[in-house]
Amino acid sequence: MTKVEQTHEASFRDPSGYVFYDGNTLRRCILPLYFKQYRQLKETGFFKTLIAKGFLIAHEETSVSDTKIIITPEAIPFVTNPYEWSFDQYKHAALHTLSIHKYALSKGFILKDASAYNVTFHKGKPIFIDTLSFDFYEENIPWRAYKQFVTHFLGPLVLATHHGTEIFKMMQTHIDGIPVQLIASLLPFKTKFSSVLYTNIHLLAKMENKHSKDYQAETKVGTLSKKAQLNIVESLFDYIKNLKLKEESEWGDYYTKTNYEQRAFETKKAMVREWILPIKPNKLIDIGGNDGTFARTVINEIPHIIVTDIDANAVNRNYLQAQQNNESNMLTFVSDVLQPAPGIGFKNTERASLLERLKEYRPDVTLALAVIHHITLSGNVPFEKSAAFFASFSKELIIEFPTREDSWVDSLLIRKREFINHFDFYNEEVFETAYKKHFELIKKQPISGTKRILFHFKKKI
Amino acid sequence: MFFLYFDPGLGAMIVQAVVAAAAGVLLFSKNVMYKIKAFLGLTKAKDDLYNSIDIDEEETDTNDKS
Repeated sequence: MTKVEQTHEASFRDPSGYVFYDGNTLRRCILPLYFKQYRQLKETGFFKTLIAKGFLIAHEETSVSDTKIIITPEAIPFVTNPYEWSFDQYKHAALHTLSIHKYALSKGFILKDASAYNVTFHKGKPIFIDTLSFDFYEENIPWRAYKQFVTHFLGPLVLATHHGTEIFKMMQTHIDGIPVQLIASLLPFKTKFSSVLYTNIHLLAKMENKHSKDYQAETKVGTLSKKAQLNIVESLFDYIKNLKLKEESEWGDYYTKTNYEQRAFETKKAMVREWILPIKPNKLIDIGGNDGTFARTVINEIPHIIVTDIDANAVNRNYLQAQQNNESNMLTFVSDVLQPAPGIGFKNTERASLLERLKEYRPDVTLALAVIHHITLSGNVPFEKSAAFFASFSKELIIEFPTREDSWVDSLLIRKREFINHFDFYNEEVFETAYKKHFELIKKQPISGTKRILFHFKKKI
Repeated sequence: MFFLYFDPGLGAMIVQAVVAAAAGVLLFSKNVMYKIKAFLGLTKAKDDLYNSIDIDEEETDTNDKS
């Protein structure tokens, strides 16, 4: 083979095998250490069922030898991470994980790894992506991934119900999950009276604390029957299923609060659709796409659509709507353009930064409606810099420019108070000149009924 | 024997016995309540994505045949 093989930066923790790039194709190598498990999982139809039911990413066996088995999993166009999920996305990922563990138990296996990074979203639904996360069930041994499930799923979810989904961003600084003691200390006192939270979090924190100094591994692990383990899993499932977010939508029904008329809104929708379709894109990303209203105008024509927004509630609404409509080509996640997710983990490369993923995704069309005034006036990012940002991953950019006459721009400017003159550069000419350094202007047109202009740029080669 | 590449946490292994006991009580009482409600005709059938923990295998078999 002359092709370059390069191990995936996130793949080193599990000695059962590793993931690598064979050219551009992602493959998984299984080492002899895991042959027995792999063969059982394959021969008993375990993989087959989970794959058929959409729980586990599909794979094909590529080659088999005495020293390694290579499998090729189905490609996932864009991987989102736990700190980018909305509440219901996070919740579904947790329930997904528990369902898989219960199923594994019923077949004589366990889920040995309950990391939230083993789940991502694909074809509109959560999917488990670590094919080697299973092992044989050993009689009366407690669930080894239990603590991991608490720090990766239960903890962040429960904290979110008390403090909002901003809590999920803690997963950025804690790649191994939020420490149990920290979860316990962040929860209000009343949670000690919940039998689920007391045992799974407060008591767990206490026990972990008590036994953390057992360096020689002297204390006996204790036993747990399978029935008891099932009780834990089922009660966690019930509890998480009923978790609800308290936080009221900040932007709420954004589109009822727009500063333009319903007719103008429909005009804008029609225009967006009309401008996108001739490009015949396979991949589109809508930056600041709120609940996906504009991306949905072309949902039947484009095979893969990503909608991302800073507002977790809007993202959640989009996700639920996609579930309801069974839109398998809609992927949604939370992101902040002014502070995109960094690369995290060992060497800062275990989980790729948002920009790296965007560059790899290479959308055919980037849609940026009603965001440039926020980037420029709330974030104080000069046009040259935002143009360079969009140019770093876009081919075609359809961007809306609200002029100074727009009431939102006006309000953002007024808030600058005595510094308002520092923002005189915010106008159509300066914007266009800056963007033309990276892009070629294809066309521009005012959106009737609004004080906004729609631009279509094409990246200069 | 198991090998594990991360520390499951000793406390976390021990605590599961207590967690399971509490969960058992909770699930039992829930079941009783459910039966009472079902008897009185108060249960609502929900049909969202993760309503049940169980992965239904039956359907898969029929899918495979088709």
